[in-house]
Amino acid sequence: MINKMKKNTLKDMNTLRNTPRRGIKGINNFDVIIVGAGGVGLAAAMYSARLGLKTLVLGASHGSELPVGGVITTTNIVENYPGFIRLTGQELAKKIEEHAKSYKLVTIKEEKVTDIKKNKNCFEIKTNKSQYQTLTIIFATGTKWRKLDVPGSKEFENKGVNYCALCDGPLFKNKIVSLVGGSDSAAKDALVLAESAKKVFIIYRGEQIHPESINMERIKKNKKIEVINNTNIKEIKGNKFVQEIILDKPYKGNKKLKVDAVFVAIGHIALSDLAKKIGVKTDKKGEIILNHKTSETNVKGVFAAGDVTDKPFKQLITGVADGCTAAYSAYEYISKSKVITC
Amino acid sequence: MAVKIYTIPTCPWCMKTKEFLKENKIKFKDINVASDKKAAKEIINKSGQTSVPVIDIDGNLILGFDESKLKKALKLK
Repeated sequence: MINKMKKNTLKDMNTLRNTPRRGIKGINNFDVIIVGAGGVGLAAAMYSARLGLKTLVLGASHGSELPVGGVITTTNIVENYPGFIRLTGQELAKKIEEHAKSYKLVTIKEEKVTDIKKNKNCFEIKTNKSQYQTLTIIFATGTKWRKLDVPGSKEFENKGVNYCALCDGPLFKNKIVSLVGGSDSAAKDALVLAESAKKVFIIYRGEQIHPESINMERIKKNKKIEVINNTNIKEIKGNKFVQEIILDKPYKGNKKLKVDAVFVAIGHIALSDLAKKIGVKTDKKGEIILNHKTSETNVKGVFAAGDVTDKPFKQLITGVADGCTAAYSAYEYISKSKVITC
Repeated sequence: MAVKIYTIPTCPWCMKTKEFLKENKIKFKDINVASDKKAAKEIINKSGQTSVPVIDIDGNLILGFDESKLKKALKLK
């Protein structure tokens, strides 16, 4: 990114970095507020601080109901982040958080944003605890789990219908569990579950589950895991807890399947409602429409990155890249703009 | 005040709860239900849910990390 910048932009950046900011002043006023404290938001904060911007990150990674660090904290093993051959999602999240915190210009607050408004040249952000002003916003709000919607799925939520394999999987030691979904995340969840359960059924509506090939191989080799393709769960039954599922097609001659749990990994819903409030455009799926060169949204001074955007390949590594681009674009917007106060 | 917390090492909210208790200097007993099968069965039956963390404060259960409920139960400001 730096190599591509024009000489005059580099000069501007050094001037900005080495001189006191002329911009927005006051303890609750920031150059950039990043909404969402997952890996992407924290990486964007690290970069905006490098560019001399007074930065606030508001977590706990919005709406996804996860602590600072975000959705990567629910991934058991991460093997696709450069520099780390193999580490846990929580270890990686901690490292990114520490990196962001190492910059004095970064403040991280575990507050939930309740309202956002455009006010003249700035944005006003209200949280459950305070109120802030900022020249720019980066939305890194991520996603929340898509809920399974069949009879019994709500009734048995956290009573056998669970969404976080890494969090709750070990409670089903030596039990029979099912997992709904066919993505790479679903496959990884099945592998996590197989560490504790005696049997894992992957139930997928399509022709064939479609994880990354490395995880497909792991699934094939794991004797505890059995994939049931072209099948949906019609109903979840039980007493106090889940006892069986009803399939829409017979499996080994029977539509009833005895299981102790139904883990769900059927995708995510973009958390873009806050962005929509200030006119940010989204696509049919509710994902923020992004300029993928600059991480700009359609609203001036508003940027986005990570799983909340319409980026097709959603990985921490791609989100982090967009987060850094968003930070740079925020920096450019502030530098070029004549607006320095609200 | 007797505080017990039923956790799984890989659960992010369990870590968050423990951090919260430590920050507020609350002594607690950490029960790892991933390795203690008996405790896992006990807490599932007691709480009626298959999810952690479960925090037991003098016999009263709090399900999941809920800062306001914890503060109230622990009489923190």
